[in-house]
Amino acid sequence: MAIEIKSPTFPESIADGTVANWLKQEGESVNQDEVIAEIETDKVVLEVVAPSDGFVSKILKVEGDIVNSSEVIGEFSESDATNTSQSKVEKLVEKNDETSATPEQEPPKTSNKNGPAANKLISENNLDASSIKASGKDNRITKADVVNHLDAKDQAPKTDHNLSQPVSNRPEKRVSMTRLRSTIAKRLVSVQQETAMLTTFNEVDMLPIKELRTKYGQEFEKQHGVKLGFMGFFVIAAVQALKKSPIVNASIDGGDVVYHGYQDIGVAVSTERGLVVPIIKDADTKSLPELEKSILEYSEKARDGKLSIDDMQGGTFTISNGGVFGSLLSTPILNAPQTAILGMHTIQERPVARNGEVVIRPMMYLAMSYDHRLLDGKEAVRFLVSIKEQLESPERLLLNL
Amino acid sequence: MYDVIVIGGGPAGYVAAIRSSQLGLATACVEEFVDDSGNAVFGGTCLNVGCIPSKALLDSSHRFYEAAGHLDTHGIKVEKVKLDLSVMMDRKDSIVKKLTGGIGGLFAANKVTPITGRGKVIAGNNVEITKSDGTSEIIAAKNIIIATGSSPIEIASAEFNNNVVDSTGALEFTEVPKTLGVIGAGVIGLELGSVWARLGSKVTVIEAMDDFLFMADKEIAKDSLKDFKKQGLDIKLGSRLVASKNLKKSVKISYENSAGTEEMEFDKLVVAVGRRPNVQNVFSEDSGVHLDERGFISVDDHCQTSASNVWAIGDVVRGPMLAHKGSEEGVMVAERIAGKHAEMNYDLVPSVIYTHPEIAWVGKNEEELKSENRSYKVGKFPFAASGRALAVDQSTGFVKVISDESTDTILGVHVFGPSAAEIVQQALISMEFGASSEDLGLTIFSHPTVSEALHEAALAVNNQAIHIGNKRK
Repeated sequence: MAIEIKSPTFPESIADGTVANWLKQEGESVNQDEVIAEIETDKVVLEVVAPSDGFVSKILKVEGDIVNSSEVIGEFSESDATNTSQSKVEKLVEKNDETSATPEQEPPKTSNKNGPAANKLISENNLDASSIKASGKDNRITKADVVNHLDAKDQAPKTDHNLSQPVSNRPEKRVSMTRLRSTIAKRLVSVQQETAMLTTFNEVDMLPIKELRTKYGQEFEKQHGVKLGFMGFFVIAAVQALKKSPIVNASIDGGDVVYHGYQDIGVAVSTERGLVVPIIKDADTKSLPELEKSILEYSEKARDGKLSIDDMQGGTFTISNGGVFGSLLSTPILNAPQTAILGMHTIQERPVARNGEVVIRPMMYLAMSYDHRLLDGKEAVRFLVSIKEQLESPERLLLNL
Repeated sequence: MYDVIVIGGGPAGYVAAIRSSQLGLATACVEEFVDDSGNAVFGGTCLNVGCIPSKALLDSSHRFYEAAGHLDTHGIKVEKVKLDLSVMMDRKDSIVKKLTGGIGGLFAANKVTPITGRGKVIAGNNVEITKSDGTSEIIAAKNIIIATGSSPIEIASAEFNNNVVDSTGALEFTEVPKTLGVIGAGVIGLELGSVWARLGSKVTVIEAMDDFLFMADKEIAKDSLKDFKKQGLDIKLGSRLVASKNLKKSVKISYENSAGTEEMEFDKLVVAVGRRPNVQNVFSEDSGVHLDERGFISVDDHCQTSASNVWAIGDVVRGPMLAHKGSEEGVMVAERIAGKHAEMNYDLVPSVIYTHPEIAWVGKNEEELKSENRSYKVGKFPFAASGRALAVDQSTGFVKVISDESTDTILGVHVFGPSAAEIVQQALISMEFGASSEDLGLTIFSHPTVSEALHEAALAVNNQAIHIGNKRK
């Protein structure tokens, strides 16, 4: 009477995912809607929740296995019959009917049984059987296939002889990249290779914003239930600037330039699993409190690994904040196919000249990387200056200047 | 018009015919060998004068050998064992008759049309059938399969007569020759030599080559030679027959070896120096079929001849002259004619010598791997360490498993001992699926069986044998 545990239905843009971890092991009891497993995709970690109270009766796809959309990854059994109410039994029957509707599609997988030595090696090395080239009858994997697969894997990094020489007193650990990490890696490299990326710098005097926050911070929080941060100001400033320079909000698609009539701002958030960029959609229609709220919501979701793919889809411009880690100055990398990315940095009290006087001001360096294929230096610099000016004179934000 | 006409009803031909018919092809099988009443007898050499009758006599003779003073250690005393050779031969003949008759039944069940006569491929996809009365007719076929088999080679230095016979004649002696000479220490010579030695003949085997069983594993060749000599077979290696003279009641031969020329006299002489493909008068010159440089019908990997829609299988084409090889070629060709995908795995054709103990192998031996410069590892297990082998008093010999050094894939299995052929067959099935020796090691074997020796030998490849010490690494 097992219910199939299936991976979530992936959106079209996601081909497959990897079982990141099983939060519940075989035999472990869970409550309905409790997360039992996590599937990592190129974009996001998806959760698999318990269909009802019960326990995980069988794990079919172990951690590291590649799974497709709505693929069976395990089996689930409802709680003991002794404390199962009538309605639950009915529900169970119903579910079974659903799953037994398509039994014909499953068998081909199990009928291709590999030899015992191959299976042993696969599980001992935590391999994904589908990634091994099978040479046996009816596509069975032989031990030789696994050995050759492992050899090929070994050989690739061996050129890096200094790294791969295990020295007893200098331990090393080799782990495979998570999907998120390898997707990030691939994307970053391709952006570097496929765009003409250039960075322009400026600095902004944060005193006016700081004063605003000191003056209205408490009231704002009381009224809107969210802290008045810096990010909201930056988003508004960026939206205004993007409206003034629609080309910065555009993207290249083959031989065409696509101008987006909306401003979807990505806010880069660092998480344990890597950098994710949730998108504040239609940021131009949102007020400062609304922006602050969605930023807070996203960072909480990101921290808990609960961002949905929808949350990260699209984006016409990105703001990245290296300042939270103390970065004074850095050059952000474009988030393709976007044309520009704004880098915020740490606020540092620095002496600056104001009206012939040296004064101490809370200063922040701004960096904007842009795709020079689409953006000329003049436009880029103007764009960044416009952001700077808005932040230094927050009344401009109000006046749409 | 037939879709398929098979010329020859031996193990290659009759199997090809049955499979063709099963695949919905209108099929006929032509056979020239007839019984006393003039009806075609199918089964070819294998059933009539080869595999089956020799196995019947090997079994009978082994029982006689055991009864005649080799059961003492079991506490069984048999006095006055008497041999009735004619009954022994009748038993053999009745088995042959049963099996050959069975093929007629299979043909009927599978709707294969049997045709009596001699078939010959002529131009334009036609088969000319010549009856025993000399009349002939021409039948057209979309596809023709030549499966005419092979015949024992006759040599000038020992022409056949009442005392000099081929393998067929050696299955039909009416009395046990006191002395028997066998020319050729190959599979047939050893099997026939064994039969008559057990029944009381003093057997001398004369082999021209210096190496005994050159095609087998070296260790098995060495051990088995010792064992055959112990059984009373006098095997003279490096000895070439020079001449023979029929003395009416016996035959005198002279052979030469490194020591010079020697003479011997035997009641009977069996010539078992090999077989040649039956290609004479099998196809016309304008049929488009050709011979290869070794005198076999020239075919590609899929047994297709140079003439379109003409195929050839079994002993008449390249490869080992073995019934099971011919049968599988027959299946492959039938499938291909029917438009299906079929391949022969020539790397995994097993070989068996039905002596006692048996010798069997499949895949590569160490010599072959060395010459190919391949790294390999070996696991061996002696039957002397097998409980079952000791219990059944057949503890001679060993199992040897050879695997690829790095991938552990089984490359060859060689067995000398009880049920060698059956043990090799188990390994062969696993090899067909690309098994490693570890795969066999991870498989449960019934206890107690002689097959456990295969399990242990496979384990020994990776130094994991339980019932014997492993080599130190």
